[in-house]
Amino acid sequence: MSALLTVRGLVKEFPGVTALAGVDLEVEAGEVHCLVGQNGAGKSTLIKCVSGVVAPTAGTIALSGGQLASGRPGAALLAGVATMYQELDLVPDLSVAANIFLGHEPRLGPLLDLRTMRREASALLARLGHPSLDPDARVGALRPADRQLVSMARALSRQVRLLIMDEPSAILDPPEVDALFEVVRRLTAEKVGVIYISHRLDEIARIGDRITVLRDGRTVASNLPATTPVDELIHLMVGRSFGDVFPDRAEPTADVVLRVSRLRRPPHVVEASFEVRAGEILGIGGLVGAGRTELLRAIAGLDLATGGEVEVAGRVLPRGRPDVAVGAGLGMAPEERKSQGLWLGWSLVKNVTISHLRKLGRGPFTDAASERRAADQHLRSLQVRPEDPMRLAAELSGGNQQKVVLARWLLHSARVLLLDEPTRGVDVGAKADVYQVIADLAARGLAIVMVSSELAELIGFCDRILVMREGAMVGELRGEEATEEAILRHALRTASDPPRSEAR
Amino acid sequence: MSAPESRAWHRMRVQEAALPFVVILLAVIGTVLKGHQFFSAGNMWTVLVQASVAGTVAVGMTFVIATGGIDLSVGSVMAAAAIIGGHYFPESGAFGFMAATVVAAAALGALNGVAVAWLRVVPFVATLAMFASARGIAQQVSHQTPVPLYHLEALAAIGSKRVLGVPIPAIVFLIVVALGWVLLNRTRYGRYVIAVGGNREAARIAGIRVRPILFSVYLLVGVCTGIASVLQTGQLASASPVVGLGLELDAIAAVVIGGTSLAGGRCTMVGTFFGILTFALIFNLLTHMHVESQVQQILRGVIILGAVVVQRRAE
Repeated sequence: MSALLTVRGLVKEFPGVTALAGVDLEVEAGEVHCLVGQNGAGKSTLIKCVSGVVAPTAGTIALSGGQLASGRPGAALLAGVATMYQELDLVPDLSVAANIFLGHEPRLGPLLDLRTMRREASALLARLGHPSLDPDARVGALRPADRQLVSMARALSRQVRLLIMDEPSAILDPPEVDALFEVVRRLTAEKVGVIYISHRLDEIARIGDRITVLRDGRTVASNLPATTPVDELIHLMVGRSFGDVFPDRAEPTADVVLRVSRLRRPPHVVEASFEVRAGEILGIGGLVGAGRTELLRAIAGLDLATGGEVEVAGRVLPRGRPDVAVGAGLGMAPEERKSQGLWLGWSLVKNVTISHLRKLGRGPFTDAASERRAADQHLRSLQVRPEDPMRLAAELSGGNQQKVVLARWLLHSARVLLLDEPTRGVDVGAKADVYQVIADLAARGLAIVMVSSELAELIGFCDRILVMREGAMVGELRGEEATEEAILRHALRTASDPPRSEAR
Repeated sequence: MSAPESRAWHRMRVQEAALPFVVILLAVIGTVLKGHQFFSAGNMWTVLVQASVAGTVAVGMTFVIATGGIDLSVGSVMAAAAIIGGHYFPESGAFGFMAATVVAAAALGALNGVAVAWLRVVPFVATLAMFASARGIAQQVSHQTPVPLYHLEALAAIGSKRVLGVPIPAIVFLIVVALGWVLLNRTRYGRYVIAVGGNREAARIAGIRVRPILFSVYLLVGVCTGIASVLQTGQLASASPVVGLGLELDAIAAVVIGGTSLAGGRCTMVGTFFGILTFALIFNLLTHMHVESQVQQILRGVIILGAVVVQRRAE
């Protein structure tokens, strides 16, 4: 039997960088083929070559035995290769149906055939098991999971034979991931081949059929069974084992540094009260949309709280004043690191010193030499790579960018750190590094609040876990009680609860 | 993800370095075409004097555009400030007039700043409104006639006297450019302006007070416009309600041609300086070649469009 997709000896060289150094990949019709590897291993380049966005330097790509013209996205689309990118490529202001048929709208003469478009959109959504999604709904108003469904329907509308899914589950809650898998199974039942890329290795056993592992632009293992243990996969990906990802940590001290009392910002934060001690790492779990990010933003004063109080090292913060919060020693590392945490076009030095310029200059003037000295010291202590502090933040990997944000707060002698998904977009090898940095910060006496969707991270790394659901704190877990099951039970229990009254 | 970002950054640096050569090239062309009629100390000072009004405004405009904003009202504000100074303070002496004019322009700029920073009006709309109203103030107060100010000798000296052989408007312009450069590149304030323009949310998270920064740049361009208004009034020896027509165009064009990004966050004062010089040289040369002013006006638009297209291509 010949495979649906056959990639042989694929090489892609960019000026100065070899992104792919010889990749082989084989995908059968009707299978879910998982592609795993660290960031920078070549996954993205590989799928860009397959979908024709990038022309490979050498090697062959064949679909059902027929050679695919290289570097021509149109040809790949016609041959039946569809790609769902990480950043959803939908037009928010158009309807569901218009998005599905974007670029190949059914027409009546020169006019759009809206009726056919709507009918066929509904048929496609039904095929995906979601007939209730309204084809006239504006895509921007949909939940992320539904938007993804639209992306998939769009892929299906083009007679897809091979669907490439790049981190589809990254923005989804556990129940939504289940629904996604259901849809994927419907596709494979129709003999569509799927390439599935995910950083959540635990998903692979649930959805995948076979696995190919990339490392440093090469295929290091192919056609592994989906039952391959996670530890073994990680070992293949990074060349070492997973055992000691989470560093050992000291006991927190007794002093409370952050005190949040009855903080409110309905509907996202109904009411939150908790304390964090120096040296403590408090985890906050819950589903996407449970109000965790909003809670952090309200604490930092970025969003205006409607009630309650935040106290940092004994000082009550005025509401809606992020500048005062920073002055009091409260630092934040936002989830959207690139768009909210950093100036990508700035040097690392400027990114680190921005909150501390008052102390580094003379009068109103800045002092480049003392800025550089101060930044360099902290970038070094966090082992940021590359070591050159004059590099632009845009040139760094996700893990190193996160460290740059942390270096800023280290320089500013922050007392409290609010971390929102600190390891999202950080590859497996670098995650251990980020954990170590956070643990070191805690050991220096910082109080850390860490929002995370990764249960393993909450359980293995945090001293205490608070679970949020619909804007409220619904559970506190510590030590032995902190299990995946317990967190999910708190995060999900909705059926028996009365509907939120403050929601509107 | 990194490539476009650093490429754009790179482009700005290239442009900053290339513009002096454009200026030299223009000077060479002018010398070849018009000989020492063009390439003389006297004419070079004339170019600087011609550049001084729009150039002084362009310094403030660089700060506004660095935050991702725009100020369309500078031409009208310049006229309104001159008229307010000339109409209400004709007997306060030259320096009283100057102070009144600068304060009036700063106040109108501050109104723009309040609208943008606290009332959250889009800069384009806020300053477009001021564009209309400030011109109205100038016309209403002056009854549409210029206010003669010949009696203010120290003011008229701006247009006639020289210091060490250098015309006063040129001196003022060069000082404003130098101060603008220091403020933008060597102070905490300048860093905050660029930070707010480059990434407003990151700036809030880093503890920068965004609204006072936004307010301040409109105040700053107001002060620059007030200084420009004094220079203009000094050269005319009267306050006119029709000065500054199209001033916003010249100032914004110089900033953009210099390499500052209209999206905010990337800006260069050196680029703005050479941008304004390039513009002034081109029109000085055209005047020497007896090109009519209407035709020059047509070329003005063509040059701005051309410069921006060349920039895009360079990317």
